[in-house]
Amino acid sequence: MGFDIDFALSTLPTILSAIGMTLLVAAVSCVGAAAIGFGFEITRRSGGVMGYAVRFLIDFIRATPVLVWLYCLYFILPFYGVRLSALAVGIIGLSVYFSGYLSEVFKAGIDAIPRGQAEAARALGLGRMDMTVFVIAPQMLRNIAAPMGNYFVSILKATPYLAVLAVPEMLGRAFDIASETYRYAEPLTVAGLIFLGLALIISQAIKRLESRLLRPMRR
Amino acid sequence: MSVLDIWLGILQGFRVTASVTLYGLLFAIPFGLVFGVAQYLITGPARLLVTGIIEFWRSSAVIILLFVFYYALPVIGLMFSAMTVSAMVLGLNIGGYASQAVRAGLQSLDRGQKEAGQALGLSRPTILLLIELPQALVTMSPTFINQIIQLVKATSLVSLVTLTDMTFRAKEISQIEYDPVPIYLSLLLAYFVVCYPIALLGRQVESRVGPAREISGGL
Repeated sequence: MGFDIDFALSTLPTILSAIGMTLLVAAVSCVGAAAIGFGFEITRRSGGVMGYAVRFLIDFIRATPVLVWLYCLYFILPFYGVRLSALAVGIIGLSVYFSGYLSEVFKAGIDAIPRGQAEAARALGLGRMDMTVFVIAPQMLRNIAAPMGNYFVSILKATPYLAVLAVPEMLGRAFDIASETYRYAEPLTVAGLIFLGLALIISQAIKRLESRLLRPMRR
Repeated sequence: MSVLDIWLGILQGFRVTASVTLYGLLFAIPFGLVFGVAQYLITGPARLLVTGIIEFWRSSAVIILLFVFYYALPVIGLMFSAMTVSAMVLGLNIGGYASQAVRAGLQSLDRGQKEAGQALGLSRPTILLLIELPQALVTMSPTFINQIIQLVKATSLVSLVTLTDMTFRAKEISQIEYDPVPIYLSLLLAYFVVCYPIALLGRQVESRVGPAREISGGL
């Protein structure tokens, strides 16, 4: 049979038409993962019982596969009467899974801020909330921009997992073509190459951004 | 079906999960070592080729790589078992990350190490093998342990190419017995039971040789 390049090219427009869905899922999941991860890190820092609970939860998330998280949410939520679309379940799954990793990014970003900053904020009489929002967060953002970007690429590369929940992203489209034509190699290869291209382009952009952000630090 | 039955069912898949992991390491370790060292030593146009191969395995979405190789290799006349294809794809993906750890470890060594070896009249391969690599591998050992965890978690993907691993067993049980909550929570817990001890080992090693460097992006 062989690999039919003409057929591969003919699948390109259909698969590419789902690139918007892929990028949307990646972007929303990244924001979700960052929000949960930041919440985790703040709770972990405040210590106490909740701090330990969150610490264990982060360890748990990091020791379990994203595919299993997706299955869990997809099959368990409806059992408790929570009916969400496959897309929503997928985004929640990716957000939860990557929050475990992003909390570590936030931890490193906050640890890199000199202690004097927090002490000065306290000396000025700022509350915990004000200190976090106005003193810690802005300085943290510069520290985490590059690792966040790398995790965005990781999340992007995890979006094809949503195909197992029948979300119409690029891998899902490739499988649609495959099951219609009984030719798997070509559409899957095309989807793989598009993801590889996207990942490489975004990684390069992040490297540029990183060197620009760090320039004012190197004095 | 009792929780014990569920656990016994999932346990039946542990052999495949463990086999894919170990078989995958047979690909990951040589690839990581050879390509990491090559990227460190080689200069000029040949380095582009090395970097290209590493980036292909590292920057592709692993779920698509698995499908592409599973469906495309037979098309070009290469017949491998699902087990071999899975171990190769997952192993080389992790090997790509590991190669970056090997290279980073070698680059982080003090120049004096190499120069002292040269002053003693040692050949370049001897310096690499007896002086540079041992130190680099020890420094990066926490990172390698993290990558083993990533590999174990990635093996859940083989359930999508008909291998009967823990994830496959859980799906099978839930098709016979509609009771998703205990089945999928047990599955999540099963991966935790396998991966958490490795994570604890990693922390132990980390406390002796210094922190792991985040090179793999969570997948």
